[in-house]
Amino acid sequence: MAHPLQELVHKGWVWQGREAAEQLAPEQLVSSGWAELDRRLGGGWLRGAVHEVQVQHHFQGELALLLPVLLAQEKPCLWLNPPCQPYWPGLRYQQLKQAPLWLQESDPKQALWAFEQALQSEALGAVVAWFDSIDASAVRRLQQSAARHQQMAFVITPWQQTTEARAYVNRLQLSWASEQLQVAVLKRRAGWPLPAFPCNVARHLPERRRLSA
Amino acid sequence: MSQTKLWWFLHVPQLLLDEQLSLQSKVQRQQPQVLCSSDGQRRRQVVQANRAAMDAGVRLGMAEVMASTLLPDLQQRDYDEARETLVLRRLAQWLHQDIAQIALYPPQGLLLAVHDLQRMYGGYAGVQRQLQRRLRGIAVQYVVAAGYSPLVARILAQSGTSLLSADKAVLQQALGQVAITQSLLPPQQQQQLQEVGIEQLAPLLQLPVAELGARFGRSMLSYMAQLKGELLPPQEWYRPPLRFHERLDLLTEVASWQQLLFPLRRLLQQLEAFLQVRQLSVSEFALVAHHRNKEQTFVRVAFALPLWRQRDMLQLVQLQLERQQLTTPALEISLRSEGFTAREAQHGSWLPAQQDAHAQRNEQRRLQGLIGKLQARLGTQAVQQAQLVQDWRPELAQQWQAEGASVGLAAEKNAAKTTSANLPRPLWLLSDAEPINISDWQLQWGPERIQSGWWDGQSMVRDYFIALDRWQRQGWIYRTCANQQSNESNEQWYLHGWYS
Repeated sequence: MAHPLQELVHKGWVWQGREAAEQLAPEQLVSSGWAELDRRLGGGWLRGAVHEVQVQHHFQGELALLLPVLLAQEKPCLWLNPPCQPYWPGLRYQQLKQAPLWLQESDPKQALWAFEQALQSEALGAVVAWFDSIDASAVRRLQQSAARHQQMAFVITPWQQTTEARAYVNRLQLSWASEQLQVAVLKRRAGWPLPAFPCNVARHLPERRRLSA
Repeated sequence: MSQTKLWWFLHVPQLLLDEQLSLQSKVQRQQPQVLCSSDGQRRRQVVQANRAAMDAGVRLGMAEVMASTLLPDLQQRDYDEARETLVLRRLAQWLHQDIAQIALYPPQGLLLAVHDLQRMYGGYAGVQRQLQRRLRGIAVQYVVAAGYSPLVARILAQSGTSLLSADKAVLQQALGQVAITQSLLPPQQQQQLQEVGIEQLAPLLQLPVAELGARFGRSMLSYMAQLKGELLPPQEWYRPPLRFHERLDLLTEVASWQQLLFPLRRLLQQLEAFLQVRQLSVSEFALVAHHRNKEQTFVRVAFALPLWRQRDMLQLVQLQLERQQLTTPALEISLRSEGFTAREAQHGSWLPAQQDAHAQRNEQRRLQGLIGKLQARLGTQAVQQAQLVQDWRPELAQQWQAEGASVGLAAEKNAAKTTSANLPRPLWLLSDAEPINISDWQLQWGPERIQSGWWDGQSMVRDYFIALDRWQRQGWIYRTCANQQSNESNEQWYLHGWYS
């Protein structure tokens, strides 16, 4: 007699965590620019995917975390509903190649429509979108568009209290502790969630004065 | 009916003055007026004069000084050939309603091909009637002459012979009477002919052509052939400016743009056919809804990149119309467009050197397509791209551009030269600086003093710092140093940007 769980596994109702991520062609992965993060994400950001970054507060370091990916893009990136005006001189100083496209749309429906159009056009390097909340079906749609058109997108949202599932490929949660940005992996491709680890994003930030020194 | 070719030449010797007179009141028109021009080093002379001036003794070619001595209250203006050519073009446009083939002979002549019109207007007399009726509507002095070749008509008209006969013998008879000085031959040849005693065209026509050719060269042979109607050089016909204007009756009143989409598809099909024949594309047109009480609603439709397919245009028009409200029901719609551009070839390139540029152009087109779509639905200002501006003031160092054409993969050529590109500026800039309580912040780096803008009234003196807030976020903050005597205690600090 098989284990009762076996039946569920056969029906595909139970997801099994594995130690090793399934093999992907290297060109499907984009290095995040942070070695420790790459290792945890199984090689980097997946190209045709939507990734979620949860922040405690805006301007906490999320842009610094994404900056290496944005810097690698030859095409302009779309910034959808950012919390304030992107500053091109500062981005230029960080060696961003193309000036950002800034789209501000207060109606969430229209914003999602614009997001999807941007993914479908395949004309952009990446899409970075800020949403306070975004429902599961919208995320699934976006994820499908991103996968079909091999476009990379990031959704930046506040910390989510609910544990409701979303179709994002990776879900990260940022916090700040002991003068370091802490990145917790809530969800990743074929792997267990991982606890917070420090990510040295200060490379892209002005130098901090060590108070203890 | 004879199927021989026949031309008319319309000579308008006073076109510019006539145009100016037609804009004046009746009393003003009675005043003596002349147009003068100076040919190079010579004195200024009268080139056009109205009837009042002629009656008082002013003649064409008379020195300006003499004319103004004759008539102290003579109005003088400068003759402008470019302006007269514009008027001539308008005249051609006017006549184009009746006559398809018109060639411009700027600044004062129009050649009309009438042989094909005889059937349309019921014979030669019908064409005459039609043209005269059309010309009666405008107050222009003209001489019109017929000819069995364009040159003959032109010589007759410019020599002032008003002759509209279709009979070649009559025309030749009149042509013989024209003085050699009006033969349109180069002045040097005119002089040579006069030296051998040929004063009119009649004796010239009797001379053997071969010998004339030997004496005066090939150009004379061609001239003689045209004079005899043996050579008819091709003409460059006037083409009216491109314009698309179609109107569609809706049969019932329609209250929303959504319901207009179906008839609109037909208009766009016509536009596509129009563009297809001419191999053009369109990037902007006006959509007009006509209402019951003769009112109209205009909607300007613009695309980020030129289009010509009905299905592409309809998609974008649909997006733009979703934002519009039709206030009153419409009875008719019309579509109007004047700005067309030649199509760009979209095929791939075989040369490897061009492949890069081609790929980049394709990228650019795709990006503009996206921007056009987003702007169509969300409004032109919804999507913007930043551009660097050479300015020390942080809020003026970048500018947002929404223009479809300029947005895209702009190669920032002089970005390195821009001062602000080499300074550690924040990644975010608050549109309006936010007052903060400095006690919440930890200063990390600074100050950097920015003192600028004294020349345009937006002067500033600010000390910028990088500071940490309660949540360890790096902000870009400043304090204003308006004047020296401000006491340190009640200084106001502002948050202006974020670094992460």
